[in-house]
Order: sequence, then C-alpha cells, then structure tokens
Amino acid sequence: MADPELKTKVQELIAANPVLLFMKGTPEMPRCGFSMRVVQVLDQIDVEYGAIDVLPALQPLREVTAEISDWQTFPQLYVNGELLGGADIVEEMFESGELAEALGVEQPVVATATPAAEGLPAQSPPLQIE
Amino acid sequence: MADLAELKGMIEAALPGASVEVSDETGNGDHLRATVSAAQFDGLSRIDQHRLVKAAVKARFDDGAIHALSVKTEVAS
Repeated sequence: MADPELKTKVQELIAANPVLLFMKGTPEMPRCGFSMRVVQVLDQIDVEYGAIDVLPALQPLREVTAEISDWQTFPQLYVNGELLGGADIVEEMFESGELAEALGVEQPVVATATPAAEGLPAQSPPLQIE
Repeated sequence: MADLAELKGMIEAALPGASVEVSDETGNGDHLRATVSAAQFDGLSRIDQHRLVKAAVKARFDDGAIHALSVKTEVAS
C-alpha cells in the first residue's frame, strides 16, 4: 500500500509536467545506465522536461508508481499524464520517430545514440519531492 | 538463478501463439532480454505490450529469480 500523501504529490507532479522523467540520479549525473539512456534520448529531442531523482525515496516511489501505472522499475517517462515507458520503449519509439510525434516535436535529423556534448537543450530545474 | 526456458514457457502460456526468445545478455542471469512477437499486441500501446510480458513472468521477479528484463515486442502479422 503506497503512502497516500506521496501518491498525491506524484500525481500532481505528473499532471503539472507535460514531460516528466522519474530517474535514478539527475540528468547531469545519472546513476543508472537505463536512466542515462533516456536522458540521452531526451537531450537529442529538443524538449523541455522535468526530472525527479527517485533514489532518495526508491521503495516508496516504487509502491506509488505500481498503483498509479502498474509499473515499478525506473526510469519512467510520463508524457501528458500517461506513462510512455522505460528505457527500452523510449529508445525504440525514438528510433521509429513515434517519440517525437508523441512529444509534438520534430524528429532530429541525426538519430544516433550519442548526443553532441554541446548545444544541449534547456532543462527545467530538478524537481524535488519533500 | 533464472531459468530461461521456464521464462519463455511462462510468456508463451500467457500469450498463446506468440513467438518468444529469452536470452541472457551478460551470462550471469542478471540482465535478461525477451523478444516477443504476438498477435495479441495488435492495437495496444508499447507500454501495454510490455505490461503483458512483465505480468507473465511476475512470479520470477517476486521471488527474486530475475532482477532486470529488457523487453522488445512486435505485433505478429
């Protein structure tokens, strides 16, 4: 049973952020290869997104997302209030162009696995769950 | 320790007629990959396709036999 207060908080964050990534670590310093893969994809697509580091409250957040989205592993990318997927789905949808479509942006011309070190798109500041 | 044949059987039982491959990417059972092609995926979002596969092997996550399973799905034609 998830903590009701945390669950409400998470639901509010998902509603308030059109593109929201729950990840291990931060976009600047991912602490898990799967989270890093999603950050790399989002960095290649010029989209602003919110990022939440789940590590400080990993187990409580697992319980919350299990209830909200029937999904317990991180990263999780939410687009317009719906769970789109984890690293596998995000990469697959990026390569097929479906991700850009879901985000309402143009598919970048060069769809490679490694983003350019310069010219990263602006990110919103990290979000905190108190 | 993960039993690849058992996992394959669990997915096939949940999705009759599906074509399923389960491989062990690192050789130590920690990072498994399931490639599943099923007609049942037709009309489902990717996340829902993955939910079906994960649900099929949930018991092995719950008992700790597997920790990570990469899933790749496609709609069988």
